[in-house]
Amino acid sequence: MWRGVFVHADGATMTQQQKKTVFEPWDEPNEQPIIQFKNVTKRFGSFTAIEDLTLDIYRKEFFALLGPSGCGKTTLMRMLAGFETPTEGSILLDNKDIAAVPPNKRAVNMMFQSYALFPHLTVFENIAFGLRRSNMPKADIPGRVEEMLRLTQLMPFAKRKPHQISGGQRQRVALARSLAKAPKLLLLDEPLGALDKKLRNDTQFELMDIQEKTGTTFVIVTHDQEEAMTVASRVAVMDQGRIVQVSTPDRIYESPNSVYVADFIGDINLIKGKAYHVAGEQSEIHWAEGQAPILATSATPCPDGADVTFAIRPEKVAISAERPEDMANAVSGKILDIAYLGNISTYHVELPSGDIVKAQATNTRRVARRRFTWEDEVWLSWTDTAGLILTT
Amino acid sequence: MHFLQREREMKNSTMKFGLAVVATLTAAAAAAEEVRVYNWSDYIDEALLEKFETETGIKLIYDVFDSNEVLETKMLAGGSGYDVVVPSGTFLQRQISAGAFQTLDMAQLPNAGNRWDVILDRTAQYDEGNAYSINYMWGTTGLGVNVGQVAEILGADAPINSLDLVFNPANMEKLAACGVYFLDAPAEMIPAALKYLGENPDSQDPDVIALVEPVLAAVRPHITKFHSSEYINALANGDICVAFGWSGDILQARDRAADADNGVEIAYNAPIEGALMWFDQMAIPVDAPNPTGAHTFLNFMLDAQNMADASNYVNYANGNLASQDLLVEDVIGDPAIYPDAATLENLYTTTPYDQRVQRVVTRLWTRIKSGT
Amino acid sequence: MDLRRKFLIFVPYAWLLVLFLIPFGIVLKISLSDTALAIPPYTPKLDWSDGWSGIISYFSQLDFENYVFLTEDSLYYVAYLSSLKIATISTIATLIVGYPIAYAMAKSPSHLRPTLMMLVILPFWTSFLIRVYAWMGILSQEGLLNQFLLWIGLIATPLTILNTNWAVYIGIVYTYLPFMILPIYAALEKMDGSLMEAAEDLGCSAISAFWLVTVPLSKPGVIAGSFLVFIPALGEFVIPSLLGGSKTIMIGKVLWEEFFSNRDWPVASAVAVILLVLLIIPIMLFQRNERKQREMEQ
Repeated sequence: MWRGVFVHADGATMTQQQKKTVFEPWDEPNEQPIIQFKNVTKRFGSFTAIEDLTLDIYRKEFFALLGPSGCGKTTLMRMLAGFETPTEGSILLDNKDIAAVPPNKRAVNMMFQSYALFPHLTVFENIAFGLRRSNMPKADIPGRVEEMLRLTQLMPFAKRKPHQISGGQRQRVALARSLAKAPKLLLLDEPLGALDKKLRNDTQFELMDIQEKTGTTFVIVTHDQEEAMTVASRVAVMDQGRIVQVSTPDRIYESPNSVYVADFIGDINLIKGKAYHVAGEQSEIHWAEGQAPILATSATPCPDGADVTFAIRPEKVAISAERPEDMANAVSGKILDIAYLGNISTYHVELPSGDIVKAQATNTRRVARRRFTWEDEVWLSWTDTAGLILTT
Repeated sequence: MHFLQREREMKNSTMKFGLAVVATLTAAAAAAEEVRVYNWSDYIDEALLEKFETETGIKLIYDVFDSNEVLETKMLAGGSGYDVVVPSGTFLQRQISAGAFQTLDMAQLPNAGNRWDVILDRTAQYDEGNAYSINYMWGTTGLGVNVGQVAEILGADAPINSLDLVFNPANMEKLAACGVYFLDAPAEMIPAALKYLGENPDSQDPDVIALVEPVLAAVRPHITKFHSSEYINALANGDICVAFGWSGDILQARDRAADADNGVEIAYNAPIEGALMWFDQMAIPVDAPNPTGAHTFLNFMLDAQNMADASNYVNYANGNLASQDLLVEDVIGDPAIYPDAATLENLYTTTPYDQRVQRVVTRLWTRIKSGT
Repeated sequence: MDLRRKFLIFVPYAWLLVLFLIPFGIVLKISLSDTALAIPPYTPKLDWSDGWSGIISYFSQLDFENYVFLTEDSLYYVAYLSSLKIATISTIATLIVGYPIAYAMAKSPSHLRPTLMMLVILPFWTSFLIRVYAWMGILSQEGLLNQFLLWIGLIATPLTILNTNWAVYIGIVYTYLPFMILPIYAALEKMDGSLMEAAEDLGCSAISAFWLVTVPLSKPGVIAGSFLVFIPALGEFVIPSLLGGSKTIMIGKVLWEEFFSNRDWPVASAVAVILLVLLIIPIMLFQRNERKQREMEQ
């Protein structure tokens, strides 16, 4: 594998598999992006869907547009497909402005959220549909369709109509159909949204596998952060028509650039306070009366007294009965709630200030013999590098 | 076609749409008793209907038709709901033999003495002993022409009193431009065509009847329409120049044109070759809901003054001798209405076709009309 | 429970029996009779008083003579064919007129659709006869259409439309248009809009996407609409009577003539039975289409 894959079974814990090769074209100064959004604005009447957006996407990337519904991610994708044109700015595909190119002339294909399979055509004919509209010689079409059928393991269903196959199979037909013309860019609009969770997880890996085999650039739109983190080489987190952060999944998770991203991706504790510089990269955050300040590090120290948010992932907060000696930060509180997730448990601990901090611990023991229970007084602790100081 | 014809209303009354048009006249005295009369369209003075209601207190429901065939279908289906119907002689005869009518109770018809024996003799051939029917009107079938237009097209010596006018393709070809209507009634048109050929107009021989097909087919392309009531207005308005139709209808057209003062002059002529003489007979269906009321209506119509009013209005001769003194000169003195002895000689009557011949006749008629 | 279900099944069958099978049986019986000058005008009539022998003699008098007669006179053959022709042409014309209307309705903003639907159905609020009469006024020589065409100078002399087959076509298209529009609209309306985008995305122009996706998907609606127009148009009587000329031969009119002008009930009934047989074929095809459609939607 040439890309980091994050297995993300519980919604928060991530274990990074080893990388074989580094795939980071966005860090190569000589690399030409396949897609360039240049100051693109899209308005629908008085509503601004996309505002002054600039973004580069590189060849062979699996690029995820992530955000809540209405953030503009679908509009962005439809502009790539050609169903919408930018109000301002330009979109370049291979350095060529594609504003005037209609959807049927773009080397871009889309897999629709509803799959949009033609109900009157068989699986085979659905996949051949795009090829028949291209200038591919007629004789070559069956071969290409079969190749696609094999790729998506649909061979036995070639003669069936869409209503005669399962949801997962339909999803694969849609994928095969959109890939059949070997587009430069494949757009996937919530491709797994209609599948149940188990099937979704399996399909995510299939999707990645196919992307790898075909070497096509994928742009996926999703509102499911877990899905984005799993499949994408880079994730763009969007909010109200703007991109808040574009980065690799691990950086998005570990170093969100804002409270919005931190909060949107995974579970996180957010504590508001005022920052005061201590020394070097270290700052302390005064967050509640009568509580010791939180010691944290930040590459760019903020001015003393600035309003900041301290963000820390629950899995980076340790929970113990006694105050640990070696931790930079420790607070005590009472267990309010325990969310048992099988392999791990999340403890909701109420501090004397009234703040609730979540801490995660792996369940190495059976439930009956676990260490903490409701109403227990516990200590929460973390190192000075475990959290982040966010100013926005 | 008949569907359309049945829509035709009596003159001056509002056109209504529906399968049957009912002219319901509100009775002065709101009596529960009603009489339903089914008569030909454009065939009565409405004042008479009001007079009947006022005099008798019986509510009169008056429907119209313009085809003997439609009337007969209703009679033979039974349960028509009418108390008085007015079929023509030949049709009356068939329907009597089918048992469609009841014999008249002469005791309820004190005015029966007004009947004219000359007509009684003739109608007896359809209704033996005049036991089932009373003559309403009688007339001839002939040629109605727009005198000015026909003279303009065919010259001053146009044969406007000859069957040659409508059965000679040379004439019809020219007349097509101004419009020609034929009756949509095979029992009228086939005898006329037979007469034109010099055959017996009352022939019951299918082979003889078949002779008319080429005659009618030759003039068919020049016929504007086959219709049995529209021609009155069409002639009066100058929309058509020739109609082969019923005497009184054409005379009504003449009067309407004169009233409108639109420069249209209409003339009626019974063909010199011989004209069909027909009799419209009032009869009471065997299942009439109100036979007593029906007799009251018949007796009312047998009144000399009432019958004279009717004839003066519709320009048809009637079978009521007593009414003749009360007829206006335009009616009693017009040989087109009351033919002189010489003309009477030249009139012929027909007898009903039997079922087998009837089939031949109606098929032939359908073929001619559709031009196939 | 079981009784209740039996009753529920019984109701439609009773309905069918009373409103279709019994009348049809009567018509079939009349078609096997002979004409007679009587009330009603055919023979034999069933005489129950003679008991079993009466019934036997009754049935022995029935024959297929009238059906043989229909084959002997070309009029019927011509009338059936002409009806088929008029119904077919009218159906195609109704489709050509109705499809764009249904398409425009399905593509219009959803808040406008109930209004548009209402406008399509609105003519049904007026009597069918009045509307056909209105067409007589429009199509006649002095009618609105001719006056308009003369006024704009498109024609120099009035066109003869009324009393020709043209008027019949116009009348049928006008009358049955909603029956064509509504099923097509229903098919188009439930079509997923992303299908058109998918077709364009895969290289179709807007026109080819229409032919390759919209048209095949609206096919069930087109088929349903076509049958809903074709079946009644085949037996149509009022429109050819009022708008057609004497050259317009349709089997419905022939039926009327047989019944009212010829007073030949047995032949009229035979014509009606054959018409029904002719209609059974398209009706069965229609049912098959509906069934297939339902299977597809499951």
